[in-house]
Amino acid sequence: MVSIMQDAMLELHDVSYHWPGASQTFGPISQRIAPGRFVALIGPNGAGKSTLLKLIAALWRPDTGEVIVNHQNVLTLTAAQRARQISFVPQTLDTSFDLTVREVVELGGLNRLSWRDRLQFRPSVSPSQLESTLRRTEVWHLQDRAFTTLSGGEAKRTLLACALMQEAPLLLLDEPTAHLDPGHAMKFLDLVRAKVDAGELTVLMAYHDLTTVGLYADELWVMDQGQLILTGAAADVLPHPMIRQIYDVDFIPLVHPRTKRPMLIFP
Amino acid sequence: MPRTGKSIVNFTAAFSVLLFALLLGVMHGPTPIPLRTVIDRIISPNASIDSVIVWDIRLPELVAAALVGGGLAVAGAVMQALLKNPLADPYIVGASAGAGLGATLMQEFLPFVNMMAPGAFVGALAAVFLSYLLSRGRGTTSMLTLILAGYAVGVILTSVMTFLMLLNRQDLTTIFAWEIGGINGVTWSRVAVVVVLMTVSLLVIWPYAHDMNALLLGEEQAHHLGVPVRRVQFVLLVSASLLTGAAVYISGLIGFVGLVIPHVVRRLNGPNHRQLIPLAFLIGAAFLTLAELVATSMPVIGPIPVGLVTAFLGGPYFLYLLVRQNRWKQGWSR
Repeated sequence: MVSIMQDAMLELHDVSYHWPGASQTFGPISQRIAPGRFVALIGPNGAGKSTLLKLIAALWRPDTGEVIVNHQNVLTLTAAQRARQISFVPQTLDTSFDLTVREVVELGGLNRLSWRDRLQFRPSVSPSQLESTLRRTEVWHLQDRAFTTLSGGEAKRTLLACALMQEAPLLLLDEPTAHLDPGHAMKFLDLVRAKVDAGELTVLMAYHDLTTVGLYADELWVMDQGQLILTGAAADVLPHPMIRQIYDVDFIPLVHPRTKRPMLIFP
Repeated sequence: MPRTGKSIVNFTAAFSVLLFALLLGVMHGPTPIPLRTVIDRIISPNASIDSVIVWDIRLPELVAAALVGGGLAVAGAVMQALLKNPLADPYIVGASAGAGLGATLMQEFLPFVNMMAPGAFVGALAAVFLSYLLSRGRGTTSMLTLILAGYAVGVILTSVMTFLMLLNRQDLTTIFAWEIGGINGVTWSRVAVVVVLMTVSLLVIWPYAHDMNALLLGEEQAHHLGVPVRRVQFVLLVSASLLTGAAVYISGLIGFVGLVIPHVVRRLNGPNHRQLIPLAFLIGAAFLTLAELVATSMPVIGPIPVGLVTAFLGGPYFLYLLVRQNRWKQGWSR
C-alpha cells in the first residue's frame, strides 16, 4: 500500500460533486496518475472535464471524497503551498488591464514570496529564471507587449510560461489549443510533451481533438455525463466501441505512419 | 527594461510637483509670503506672524489636502483592482452614503459635541461591511454582487439620511457643505489622526501589490497562482475603506480623485501595482494640493470647497473615459 502511495502524483478518492441547481451529479470518481505521465481527459461537451480540473485545483470543494496531490489533500494546503504543487493554464482569460507579458509571467513566482520580499521593492522572480522561461515558451520578444494585445497563440504561450514559473510538478490544462491554428497548437503541445519527457511535469489535460490526442497523451480518461467511464493507454482507449457510442460518430482508427501512435479520424 | 526607467522619471516628476505645490500653497493666500521667508520659517519657526500663518494655518491644510488626495487615489486603485473595473471608485460600495448617514446621526443626536467626522468614518466602514456581508456567497465573494449590494445599501442609507435632514432643516447647510467636500479649519491633531490611520492602511496594502496584479487576471487565475482570494479581497476592502474613512474624516466627500488619479497613473506608467500604488499616492497628493490652491484663490466669490474643483475637473474626464471604454468595447480603434 505504501509503495503504491509513493507512486502517485494525483489521487482521486470517491470525489463527487453536484452543480448548484442541476439534477445531474458528478462522480464519484476514483483514479490516480503516476508521476511523469501525460494524461488527456476526453469526452463530449458538458461531460464534466472542466469540473474535474476545478475540483483538483481546489477552486471548488467536492461534496465527498478527497483530492490528493503529492500525498497531500489539496484542501488542507494554503493557497501558496497549493500553487507550488499545481499550476493551471485556463481556457481563456479576460482582463481589461494592460499588464505586460513580463508582468504576467512574473506572477508565477508569487507563491514563493516571503513577507520580507513583499515589503521590499523587489520583483517576484529572478531575472535569469524569467529569461529562460520566456525564451523556452517563445514569448521573449513579446515581453513588453500588453497581454491584452496578444494573439490567441501568444496569449496561451504566455499563460504556459506563467504556469511553468510556478515550478509545480502537476500541470492542469483546460483545452489549451482551442482557438489556436494547427501550427501554434502543435508547438504548444510539443513544449508540454518535452517538459514531461524531461521528467519535470505530470500533466492532466482536458482536450477535444481525437485526431491528435493520441500523439501526445500516454493515457486517456474518458468522461461522459459526470462519470469517468473508461481509462487506459491511448492505444487501447481510442479504438474502444464506447468512444463511438458517447460521441455517436463512427470514427476510423488509424496509426500514425511515422510515430506509430494511435489516432481517430472522422468517418 | 523600459518600464523601470520610465517609472523613475515618473516618480521624480510626481515628487517634484508635490513639493512645488506645497511650497506654492504656503506662499500663496490673503497675505502672500515670499519663498525665502517660507523656507526660513519652515526650517526655524519663531513667534512672528509669518511663522504662525505658515505653521498653524497653511501647512496643516495643505498637508491634509495632500494626505486626502493620496489616500483617496490609493483607495481608488485598490477598489479598481478588487472589482476588476477601471471605473470603480472608493465610494462605490456604499462608503459615501454610510459616511453621510453617520455624520447626520451624530448631528441629530449628539449636536453638542463635534462628532460629525468620527460618525462619518464609522458609518463608511459599517456600510462597506454590510455590502460585503450581503455579497458573500458560496466559495468566493462575487464582486459584481458587491457593487450591486453597495448600490442598494447606498440608496437605503441615503433615504434614511434625507429623512433625518428633513426632520431638522437648520442643519442642511452643514451637511450640504460636507457632502461636497472641503478642507478647512484643520488642526495638527486632526492631521495626526489621519496620518496614523493612513500609515496603517498603506502598510497593510503595500505587501499585497503582487496579489492585486494577480487579481487583474481574474479571481480564478489568482487562485491558481496562489493568492488566497477571499482573504486578500477582505483585507484590501477593509484597508481601502479605512483609507477612505480617514480621508472623509478630515474633508467630507471629495469626489473623482479616487476615480481619476489611478487611471491617469495607469496611462502614464502601466497597471503594475508595485509602482501604481506609490505613484498614485504622490500624484493624488499633488493633484489635491493644487486643487486646494485653486479653490482658495477664486477671484470675486472667494474660497470655494475643493470638492467642487475636483468634480468640475474630474467629471468631464470620467465621461471621456466612459465613452472611450465603450468605443473600445465595441471594437473601435483606441
